[in-house]
Amino acid sequence: MADLRTSLAGIESPNPFWLASAPPTNSGYQVQRAFEAGWGGAVWKTLGEPILNVTSRFAAVSFNGQRVAGFNNIELITDRPLEVNLKEIYETKKRFPNHAVVASLMVEPKQEKWHEIVKKVEEVGVDGLELNFGCPHGMAERGMGSASGQVPELVEKQTYWAKEAAQTPVIVKLTPNITDITSTAEAAVRGGADAVSMINTINSLAGVDLDSWNTIPHVGGKGAHGGYCGPAVKPIALNMVGECARHPRINVPISGMGGVSNWQNAVEFMLMGASNVQVCTAAMHHGFRIVEDMIDGMNNYLDEKGIASVRDLVGQSVPKYSDWGNLDLNYKIVARINNDVCINCNKCHIACEDTSHQCIDMLQDGHGNAYLEVREEDCVGCNLCSIVCPVDGAIDMVEIESEHPPMTWNERQAILSGVQDGKANTVK
Amino acid sequence: MTEYAEYVLEKEQIDLMLEKGYAIKEVKENLSGAFVTFEKGKDDSDILHIKTADGRKYFSNLLFHQK
Repeated sequence: MADLRTSLAGIESPNPFWLASAPPTNSGYQVQRAFEAGWGGAVWKTLGEPILNVTSRFAAVSFNGQRVAGFNNIELITDRPLEVNLKEIYETKKRFPNHAVVASLMVEPKQEKWHEIVKKVEEVGVDGLELNFGCPHGMAERGMGSASGQVPELVEKQTYWAKEAAQTPVIVKLTPNITDITSTAEAAVRGGADAVSMINTINSLAGVDLDSWNTIPHVGGKGAHGGYCGPAVKPIALNMVGECARHPRINVPISGMGGVSNWQNAVEFMLMGASNVQVCTAAMHHGFRIVEDMIDGMNNYLDEKGIASVRDLVGQSVPKYSDWGNLDLNYKIVARINNDVCINCNKCHIACEDTSHQCIDMLQDGHGNAYLEVREEDCVGCNLCSIVCPVDGAIDMVEIESEHPPMTWNERQAILSGVQDGKANTVK
Repeated sequence: MTEYAEYVLEKEQIDLMLEKGYAIKEVKENLSGAFVTFEKGKDDSDILHIKTADGRKYFSNLLFHQK
């Protein structure tokens, strides 16, 4: 059995699966239930001045029968007094000393406010702090959450203030509601962050009711934007983790989150550079015991791969992630249809003919039987036919050997710059 | 004519110029594609308008791999 223990900036955990700061970590009762189920750590629902919430708070996007493909919420940070949360954190940590208990924090962007809450929270024995610079609704209007997380200078300054008082590792949680997340991640590093975590939720409106014309969710007929999470945001989160992991000046560990729903997603985030993962929506959808499948699946995967420790996954795919300009223009794949598997639904033909490169022909054999065939010389290898194909194994994307060695766009532009003024680099 | 057939024609034109002893002297790229100037000696030159993506990739490969 593989070693699932992880360390995020020195915060030890029996496995890489943490609950993210959110409704599932609102109380000691919940976090202790989660630890009993097997979660390795929990980031306590954000502590700060207790707020007032509204009803209703959540909405989900279902897509083609999949419930909770995306999840939207307008709930704010904790609505309970700090002392109540601290008492429960103390009790939880006492009962589960080997599990990671991290406190999420959000206060006004003032030095004394950060010092005050950091000291109070650390007194009860938390393993680390996560600064919430990402919550996109409610708190942002008060200058906190994503409002300060979108300004690199504020991220740096507040991280610095928290670090001035902190004895435990400081994780900075970043908002995705920004053009380039590496700019705020870098600011966090400049401020002294021991780790960064991403992504918080994405500004969203789940929908509009076609009968009442109310927003979804609405509060007495009025709506406001919320934060989007769940499986739909995973590709966005994975990219942001990868961008930070490959950035030379973001040299701190990353806690990855955003749509992590199973062990496979966790492996992906860790391969792209996350030292562990945080989960919320999947737990809200299926309950705390989904972590059992995550642990079993991760264990089996590592054993099958012959990998001794989950830590050995971290960042393995990062060197494979680059900029478009570094991709090989001469690499070529084409589609091949396996006619013994194909059911002749013609979806690939329609997709290619209508929206791609018109290279799948509908033909008939000598007996009048219809079949589909790719004109490989016209195929650009876009993958669309294999994406829309409903039958596994009916379409393969196969590599075609290039007559030329690799050449990237950047390399092409460099060589062309020499002949754009007619000066040099002639070829015979 | 398919794009591949267009490319094959362009490739043949480029190869023919090189076979005749011309060399790529200048490449100008704009909204219409690439205009590749071939030159043989000081006074003999010709320009090919390369429109297809594969054609533009082809002469780029020639320049890149025979630099």
